[in-house]
Amino acid sequence: MTIFKHNGSAVVAMVGKNCFAIASDRRLGVQLQTIATDFQRISKIHDKLYIGLSGLATDSQTLYQRLVFRHKLYQLREELDMKPETFASLVSAMQYEKRFGPYFCQPVIAGLGDDDKPFICTMDAIGAKELAKDFVVAGTASESLYGACESMFKPDMEAEELFETISQALLSSVDRDCLSGWGGHVYVVTPTEVKERILKGRMD
Amino acid sequence: MLDTTALESFPSLISHGINVAGEISAPPSFQLPNSNDFDGFVKETIQMVKPAKGTTTLAFIFKEGVMVAADSRASMGGYISSQSVKKIIEINPYMLGTMAGGAADCQFWHRNLGIKCRLHELANKRRISVTGASKLLANILYSYRGMGSSVGTMIAGWDETGPGLYYVDSEGGRLKGNRFSVGSGSPYAYGVLDSGYKYDMSVEEASELARRAIYHATFRDGASGGVASVYYVGPTGRKKLSGDDVGELHYHYNPVTPSTVEQEMVEAAGP
Repeated sequence: MTIFKHNGSAVVAMVGKNCFAIASDRRLGVQLQTIATDFQRISKIHDKLYIGLSGLATDSQTLYQRLVFRHKLYQLREELDMKPETFASLVSAMQYEKRFGPYFCQPVIAGLGDDDKPFICTMDAIGAKELAKDFVVAGTASESLYGACESMFKPDMEAEELFETISQALLSSVDRDCLSGWGGHVYVVTPTEVKERILKGRMD
Repeated sequence: MLDTTALESFPSLISHGINVAGEISAPPSFQLPNSNDFDGFVKETIQMVKPAKGTTTLAFIFKEGVMVAADSRASMGGYISSQSVKKIIEINPYMLGTMAGGAADCQFWHRNLGIKCRLHELANKRRISVTGASKLLANILYSYRGMGSSVGTMIAGWDETGPGLYYVDSEGGRLKGNRFSVGSGSPYAYGVLDSGYKYDMSVEEASELARRAIYHATFRDGASGGVASVYYVGPTGRKKLSGDDVGELHYHYNPVTPSTVEQEMVEAAGP
């Protein structure tokens, strides 16, 4: 199996009206064997910035730890939280540093920028950024996710409707993938609150 | 030598009708592809089919008969192509076969075995034994050994000597036994099956054990899932006992209890 399919993952982020949602599956596997069903793939950078890392699990954990370090330094020096656009550039640069021995991760970044405008982007393993206005996907179930998001997405959804949409898109896509699933983890972030929810999914 | 009894009904496509001196036309055979590198071609086809056996099937003999169970997922690499594949094949009213490996191989050869069993009944005026049926299949598969077919099947049935269970595969192996599990999910199924097995079980206990074993395999194995089907073969013939969706079965075995809130969500002060 290719290295990206070794652990299995599914991450998706969607933009709503002054809010965003980011969701991932919960499986950690070693090829076909499922090891854990509560693996955290989405992590908080600061209150209005989240990153979901798909791909090889060890690289996503290491990359996350390095990013937290860099962001803490930034906070100390600039006395500010990083804007999502800036953070995306940071991740992209850090990945390109390893161009000839990359981190086998595809990050999905989602945050609220200036004036609480939602921002999402994804990039490949060597830092090619892809900005999108509607949704971004990554992981072994990405092809199914593209199809599901394309058909279910509507612009300017409120937080509750966005939650329903992203959950349905995630669950229906991972149900067609052997290597991801076993539940779901969804964060819906608005300027005033963050709602974290665990999805009940098929455990096969 | 290839077993060509499966091909007798196929007309020879090569020399059809045009026989100059009344010669016997070519014997029935599978058409081989025109290729410069036939050996390389065969190796590649074997590799294409090999990753299969993404499945979980099991069967065991107990006091009341034979219990057979399987999942229903078909996977192509990482993609789930179907969640509703019939992996337990009804060969005849008192014999079942399980499917693991290439779907086409299993379906074709099981149907062929059913034909052979019926011909045996007509020729000998009595039903074929499970021993005989499994031997017929094993001999066919042995003759196609090394050609890339992928079959890991169990033949389970009830004949005059009582319950019978054989494991037959495309390498040509044939084993008689009391408990088998085949497929990528088999280690997980064996764990549950071996620890819960008793010869003196009732039909209900045995079917619950089989169902649980398949459920646990679908939980841990990525290539198994869908529906856990359980069949029973007894003195009166075969019967399907249950077909439960494993997604729902998980929450049946592990009910969700609302947990206490660990962190209170506090409204963040606006900008």
